[in-house]
Amino acid sequence: MVGTTTGTEELSNLFQPIDTGILFTVLLIILFSYFLSRLLTILLAKLSEIVGKHRIKVKILIPIVKLGIYGIAVYYILIKVLQFSGQQFLVFGGLFGAALGFGLKDLFSDYVGGIMIILETPYQVGDKIKMGEYYGEVNDIGLRATKLITPDDSFVSVPNGLIFGQSVASANKGTSEMMVVIDLYIAGESDAGHAMKILREAVVSSKYVYISKDRPVVLLHKAFPFYTRLRAKAYVNDLRDEFKFESDVSTRAWVEFRKSNIQAPQLKLLEYSPEIKDP
Amino acid sequence: MVNQFNVSGRNGFTDIIGFQEEIGKIHAAIADFELGKRLNIAIIAEPFGGKTTLLDEIERKNPGRVTKIGFSATARNGEEIALPKNSKRILLLDNCHFFYMRKIGGFETLYKFLEMVAVSPEKLFITTWNLHSWNYLNQGLGLGKYFPVQVNVPGLAREELKALILEGYEEGEIQFVGDIESKKKRFVYIMKYPLSLKPVRKEINVPYLKINIPYLQKRFHKEEKQTSVEDLIFDKIYLASKGNPGVALRAWEMGIEYPQIRPEKTGNFSFDIELDYDEAFVLSLILSYQRLKKAEIAEIIGSLQRADEILFRLLNQELILMDRDLYCKLRPEALHSVVSFLKNLRVVW
Repeated sequence: MVGTTTGTEELSNLFQPIDTGILFTVLLIILFSYFLSRLLTILLAKLSEIVGKHRIKVKILIPIVKLGIYGIAVYYILIKVLQFSGQQFLVFGGLFGAALGFGLKDLFSDYVGGIMIILETPYQVGDKIKMGEYYGEVNDIGLRATKLITPDDSFVSVPNGLIFGQSVASANKGTSEMMVVIDLYIAGESDAGHAMKILREAVVSSKYVYISKDRPVVLLHKAFPFYTRLRAKAYVNDLRDEFKFESDVSTRAWVEFRKSNIQAPQLKLLEYSPEIKDP
Repeated sequence: MVNQFNVSGRNGFTDIIGFQEEIGKIHAAIADFELGKRLNIAIIAEPFGGKTTLLDEIERKNPGRVTKIGFSATARNGEEIALPKNSKRILLLDNCHFFYMRKIGGFETLYKFLEMVAVSPEKLFITTWNLHSWNYLNQGLGLGKYFPVQVNVPGLAREELKALILEGYEEGEIQFVGDIESKKKRFVYIMKYPLSLKPVRKEINVPYLKINIPYLQKRFHKEEKQTSVEDLIFDKIYLASKGNPGVALRAWEMGIEYPQIRPEKTGNFSFDIELDYDEAFVLSLILSYQRLKKAEIAEIIGSLQRADEILFRLLNQELILMDRDLYCKLRPEALHSVVSFLKNLRVVW
């Protein structure tokens, strides 16, 4: 009798049983890809430290290399080892979609986010970024998560899926230099013009500063009722020295302010007036 | 005027050797000035590059028309840069990078000088600047606006360097001694071609192999051994100095055992520089001023003790020299290694 096969049987016919040899090969490819990607990551990271000012340009290569290695590994496993046909791909896709529905959505979102980060480069390895509630230098862009080193040297792993829901701010966008905004507050009665001159020279003479036609030093001044804010916008030559730059400029500027009798804002208490009564 | 950067102590090395194009450019600006168009000039060169010699040449070619003033130490106030009352219309000011100190309040003399330049339309200012100081001041304070004509002193060609070095000797006085067999290895050099990437405004050095055709021709024609050794020595000096006359003279001095010179002892400069950021910054100051007192370094970095520590490290790595007056100077032979190291750190731009 010519029997009709059920859906389950069709599905089981579609996929041949995977023997231990194939499983072992797949495992080997995954392990090889992992270690190769780790090795190249370490080598590129070391190389980036040697080349100094081109550090970030070399580090950009790390996620691309990783994506390439894992992409080739997946291709090799599916096409060469498991020898998937077009029909098998469709079924595999369906199963994969079902898996997503059952709870792997976030994980998948992270991986897609990782690929988007590599292709669109909203930030790169070596950049200083603010993502979600975290701020720090991008140490590694993995397929699932981005690793940041925060200013207090904490190692934070931020899921790549966050880029779909949150804005990401990159302070330097692939360059070694980065703008630093330094605010100093002086008393309203102090000579703001002289203070601005001191602040400009403190910035320009700092050992950490980087100045060029496209990276100028900008000084801004804003008067408030009881104090004046002086703001310097300048580029630090290596984003890792962001806080040293700020500290260097502030310290030297304040030493000169004191010599020039430029005061910090003082707390001013309003006199109590008995006519004013609480309602 | 004391030419303190003349490393070899021999004067007049560029009286007529090299810089002809630059001299022409300066004379064109002088001619324009006589016709009523004032374009102040900045002559910019790396340390030991020959800017003082170029200025001396301008003075020599314009007798009675120019007043030359040289500066050999940091000028602390406007009085130190005041012009003599009887100064001529054309002023030659040497080493203007001494007009500032890289610290708060250290730019007053420079501001006064720029004011003087701005309010003296009847005078033409021909100034010399250290390349690294110029780059810093131009980016930080827009110095270039005051000096529309900028003359970058180039490196000398190989033959010019050879003429410069040998001008102090009689013909045949120096014996070029070498092992002819060792030269077999030198028929190919690795050279670097500076490739300008205009869209990103960068320049990269692309390594390439250069075949030493003159050497191969000499080998083919079996020319005298003596000529080949001489060429080899000047090739090495040229490669080590990159055309910088001061560095080339230093290479010659280090290699010569009078009256003999050997290729294996010439131009072998190698510096493994290991410095932290503060040390690199101090080295950049010495590079930018060419000569700086220990006390001035301490004043800039804010600590005499730290200055002592850093200078000890720099002296230990044989990157600088310190004389009896505690003036620190860069070793000419370390120039290119130092510049490359500091550019990599972006301490100089």
